[in-house]
Amino acid sequence: MSILAYNGGCVVAMRGKDCVAIATDHRFGVQAQTISTDFKKVFKIAPRMFLGLTGLQTDILTVRDRLMFRKNLYETRENREMAPKPFSAMLSSFLYEHRFGPYFIEPVVAGLDPKTLKPFVCNMDLIGCPNEPDDFVVAGTCAEQLYGMCETLWKPDLDPKQLFEVISQSMMNAFDRDAMSGWGATVYIIEKDTITERTLKTRMD
Amino acid sequence: MARRYDSRTTIFSPEGRLYQVEYAMEAISHAGTCLGILAEDGILLAAECRSTNKLLDSAIPSEKIYRLNENMVCSVAGITSDANVLTAELRLIAQRYQFSYGEVIPCEQLVSHLCDIKQAYTQYGGKRPFGVSLLYMGWDNKYGYQLYQSDPSGNYGGWKATCIGNNFGAAISMLKQELADKPSIKLEEAKDLAVKVLSLTLDTTKLTPEKVEMATLQRVNNTTVYSVLEKPDVEKLIEKYNKLQAETEAAKKEKQAKQPKS
Amino acid sequence: METLLGIKGKDFVMLAADTTHARSIIVMKEDQNKIHKVSDNLLISTTGESGDTEQFTEFISKNIALYKMRNGYDLSPRAAAHFTRKNLADYLRSRTPYQVFMFVAGYDETEGAELAFIDYLANAKSLNYAGHGYGAMFCSSIYDRYWHPNITQDEAYDIFKKCIVEIQKRLVVNLKNFNVSVVDKDGVRNLEPISAQSLTDYNASS
Repeated sequence: MSILAYNGGCVVAMRGKDCVAIATDHRFGVQAQTISTDFKKVFKIAPRMFLGLTGLQTDILTVRDRLMFRKNLYETRENREMAPKPFSAMLSSFLYEHRFGPYFIEPVVAGLDPKTLKPFVCNMDLIGCPNEPDDFVVAGTCAEQLYGMCETLWKPDLDPKQLFEVISQSMMNAFDRDAMSGWGATVYIIEKDTITERTLKTRMD
Repeated sequence: MARRYDSRTTIFSPEGRLYQVEYAMEAISHAGTCLGILAEDGILLAAECRSTNKLLDSAIPSEKIYRLNENMVCSVAGITSDANVLTAELRLIAQRYQFSYGEVIPCEQLVSHLCDIKQAYTQYGGKRPFGVSLLYMGWDNKYGYQLYQSDPSGNYGGWKATCIGNNFGAAISMLKQELADKPSIKLEEAKDLAVKVLSLTLDTTKLTPEKVEMATLQRVNNTTVYSVLEKPDVEKLIEKYNKLQAETEAAKKEKQAKQPKS
Repeated sequence: METLLGIKGKDFVMLAADTTHARSIIVMKEDQNKIHKVSDNLLISTTGESGDTEQFTEFISKNIALYKMRNGYDLSPRAAAHFTRKNLADYLRSRTPYQVFMFVAGYDETEGAELAFIDYLANAKSLNYAGHGYGAMFCSSIYDRYWHPNITQDEAYDIFKKCIVEIQKRLVVNLKNFNVSVVDKDGVRNLEPISAQSLTDYNASS
């Protein structure tokens, strides 16, 4: 079995009209055994930017800490907030630094540019190959199911309310068909002046 | 042959002094003045800016006050290029700690870690000491608001109010006098006091908003809020001080006039 | 095969660990303590590759002691857990990884109780209850049934008894005796070990 599916979990992010959404499940397991049902794989990086990490939990924590290290130094040195685009570039080069001994994670970045407020979503493979589409990105043990759901439900220019509905339904119906993900979910909707965090109660099995 | 000179360590003089370190301190006592005051509801740093050329790009918010991490800010007196190396080092130390322990570095640890490096430069070969003194203001959950000062020798100490740079001796004694009868002061009072001390210790006759930089650090809703005072706010403080000064001056004159001539 | 258990309450953390030291099919000793007192308010229980467990806990606890000596105050339990995990993660990608499973348990006046689950890959999570090893497989359902947010120390000790009854009944390996320690505002204490003998009395009474 792939090391990327050792702990389970999934993340999805979507673009809407002047907003983005990112969602995470809550499961943390060791292979088939569930250890915890409150592990959120999405972290707040900046006021309008979130980073989601799926894969091996130890590397989720390590990569999160290492990126925060670099991002904090950037922000104190430059005296400004880091935008999603340079953050993703930094993440990509960081992952590629470990090309021949990679961190077993698949990252997802979602946010609004602090200046232009343009929505941004991006994901990568474990060695940092970036993908920056204008619809949605998925990662985790139920990526295939998520692709199917997102492909069906997503359409351009969704407003925050619709986006919340679309991302929640995509997430829930995808991970209900996966034993390694699920046990509740958290959705973050990022708009220019608000961030809404909502917890989804889902099937707990 | 240059190696014969460069690799020499800083050594004691026959009187038991370290000249290189003393020279570094001397260099700093000519630099722009920096002062810090610890108030009960926050901390303040104020610095004198010497390069007030109109052609300078004002995109940089402050030239002598640097943010170090979430909870700490420092101001520098001395050779700016040396200071840049040290602030870069401080930021790195702070982030390394956060990376290892998952929490923000306690203030004193950051100061003492940098001082270990500064000390090394007074002892190992081929190096000169850093020509920089620093004032640090910060907050941590162990000791609350803290104000530290460190110098090129690698010495550091915690203070309620202190000053480095030009005329620091006069400024410290003035601060001592002003704070002698008070156990603590409010941040607003500290701002007035900073303007007063700066304007009396500055070589130039008049204090202008361009010449002074002021920053405060406070805890609001469990987060550290750092703010650099805007020029108009500094101007208001200076005006307030000038007005007060003029009033006391006038009162003095009136008193003198009333006194019968003998 | 060795088993560690941990339960966190509002103002305490309780750990249990079997005392068996086995090598392949032979039981070498039956009184090995696997719960280590690291500082006044911190416990670490470890299992895994036998040399590694001793070496790694020693390395961590001496570093935590050094931190206290240097700074005059203790590392908070959460920081200690972060530090432990980081070291284990660094070693994981070195030529000499440590194969240890552990709980970092501590109590702090400001931060409260902390129970950190860390496995040999340095997967880590702060939890309310958890277990390591084969024995732990029988315990998840017992925890889920009996743990609650306002659990007392007596109730936690009782859950351990229930778990150990199950382990001794169902697990193919014989884990006779379990040491139990607790950490709370008064520091670290060792409780009465739970053994096969003490459990026969327990079963008789219930």
